[in-house]
Amino acid sequence: MSFLKLEQIVKRFGDATVIDHVDITAERGEFVVFVGPSGCGKSTLLRMVAGLEEVSEGAIYLDGANVTDTEPAARQVSMVFQSYALFPHMSVHDNISFGLRMAKTPREEIDRRVAEAARILQIESLLQRKPRQLSGGQRQRVAIGRAIVRNPKLFLFDEPLSNLDAELRSQMRVEIARLHRDLGVTMVYVTHDQVEAMTLADRIVVLRAGRVEQIGSPADLYERPDNIFVAGFIGSPKMNFLKVSVAAVNGGAVTVRHPALAADLTLPTRHAPRVEPGEDVVLGLRPEHLSVGDGGAACLALRGEFAESLGATSQLYAQTGNGETLILQVPGRRSLAPGEGIRAGFDPAQAYLFDGAGRAI
Amino acid sequence: MVSRPAARFAHLAGLVLVFAFAMFPFYWMVSSSFKDQGDLLASPPMWLFEPTIKHYAEIWADQKVTAAIVNSLIVAVSTTALAVLLGTPAAYALARFEFRGKSDLWFWFISNRMISPIVLALPVYLLAQSLGLLDTHLVLILIYLTFNLPIVVWICTDQFRSIPPELEQAARLEGAKQFDVFWRIYLPLGLPGVAVSAIFSFIFSWNELLYALVLTRRNVQTAPVAATSFMSGYELPWGKIMATGTVIVLPVTIFALIVSRHMIRGLTMGATK
Ligand SMILES: Nc1ncnc2c1ncn2[C@@H]1O[C@H](COP(=O)(O)OP(=O)(O)OP(=O)(O)O)[C@@H](O)[C@H]1O
Ligand SMILES: [Mg+2]
Repeated sequence: MSFLKLEQIVKRFGDATVIDHVDITAERGEFVVFVGPSGCGKSTLLRMVAGLEEVSEGAIYLDGANVTDTEPAARQVSMVFQSYALFPHMSVHDNISFGLRMAKTPREEIDRRVAEAARILQIESLLQRKPRQLSGGQRQRVAIGRAIVRNPKLFLFDEPLSNLDAELRSQMRVEIARLHRDLGVTMVYVTHDQVEAMTLADRIVVLRAGRVEQIGSPADLYERPDNIFVAGFIGSPKMNFLKVSVAAVNGGAVTVRHPALAADLTLPTRHAPRVEPGEDVVLGLRPEHLSVGDGGAACLALRGEFAESLGATSQLYAQTGNGETLILQVPGRRSLAPGEGIRAGFDPAQAYLFDGAGRAI
Repeated sequence: MVSRPAARFAHLAGLVLVFAFAMFPFYWMVSSSFKDQGDLLASPPMWLFEPTIKHYAEIWADQKVTAAIVNSLIVAVSTTALAVLLGTPAAYALARFEFRGKSDLWFWFISNRMISPIVLALPVYLLAQSLGLLDTHLVLILIYLTFNLPIVVWICTDQFRSIPPELEQAARLEGAKQFDVFWRIYLPLGLPGVAVSAIFSFIFSWNELLYALVLTRRNVQTAPVAATSFMSGYELPWGKIMATGTVIVLPVTIFALIVSRHMIRGLTMGATK
């Protein structure tokens, strides 16, 4: 049995169902990330694992035991809150040692463990300060320190980096990854930032409106999204979508047609195709898989709009004849004059097809 | 348009005016307590005079005044301590728990303060009489508690509600029990509210005259009762009255000054973000 298992979890607030029959598992030592847009229920799910929110239906198992109705303190989980939730009237030392003091740990043991946590997080010089005398990044470290000092079974992080600026954020991201590697503990991490999800996770759970859209490794989600929502959510810049019509269905391949496509495009399908000729489907193309020119087996004729240069790469915005905007991500600096005709080549093996209901074909 | 210095001057003048208006009675009381009877009754009033501590010596020698102050201290300190002891846990429950009848209870607390005290004076007197509590410290403590508890509960409930709930949740995850959460999180962070309500409670109990007059006789006279008792007879001993007044005001002022140090804002700064 998995180390952490959420089984058919439902959460209702009054009449509103915010979590709808969710099944998730995590193995011991795994780093699982919940991603999804704001309000999809990530925090609620995490808080149910912590025991801070009651479960309306379903069961939660942790380390072989059913903890669905267990008190938060007895679950041996630590949580880093989105708002950090440091005790403002206590010093950093007392914040970190709070749980140990509650557990009546001997004084020398407390000092040793606090010193150890402070060393790992490089906050040794701050132990006597109050939280209000710390910067955002330092508060963040203290919150993590409070979580690691007790050696919990499970770490829960609720968007821990969302209050930090971009630079600190990527720095802390690396540190959390290092912490996970060094401590070897199971972590569940909530974010709506897909870069954090892609870089930190062993496994990503994509949530939308209280339901699981897909669970898989970062590579799985990037290469084989189950549906148009996951395809659009994972990857930056976002995947381009073009409405195309089915010209022919032939065993394991679908041929689609679009006015901007130089020729009909035949794509292999992952599942038995559930589409009919004449039906409208969606063609998905990642910006980084499009190149300027006729290179690649397939090609789109586009009219340029403008270009954004990011230094190492440029993002070109271009339109098809019927006004659909596509983004191309190309290496180096490249300008694009409005109205300039460009051709975007791609490899059909890197194209995706989704049916009318948004499911991958 | 007023120039900035002029505006500041007007501001300052306004402050001085308000300050003088508020402080003059105190000045009058304190200065009068150091005048002898002749200077006191002089007209126009004497601004410069030979100070005397005669009246203070007199009230110090007067058993009645010292006893009254001790009585007042016993009653006010006990009332305040009990009101805080009982009121803060109630406030915590009202601020953070959902239970049936919560809003009714809340309203009931408020409604206690809607009754004019005089309406209850006679029933309370009869009640105290039949319980044999007349002229005891306990009866004053109990009746003051009924007036002060609602204030402590309101102020502290409001204060506790402003504490981010994540702090409690974090503490619980760290293994804190209900009482630890109250004692280590809510009480220290709610200290400004606790301080304000303690000051209110103390001042109320210290100054209260109506019930003190009705419910006490010889043994448990409080300071305000003692002070008014000088106002019988044909000659008003102004110096003694003023000296007694000064002595009465002193403990409240000291208490308020000490406690107000906890009335700082921004105690929860640094908890979040
Ligand atoms: N106590 C509550 N009562 C009623 N509805 C709630 C409560 N808590 C959360 N919700 C609702 O549940 C849904 C999920 O909320 P949740 O906080 O889990 O979202 P989230 O995915 O963490 O979003 P964000 O990324 O903005 O933090 C939201 O629609 C929210 O309005
Ligand atoms: Mg959230």
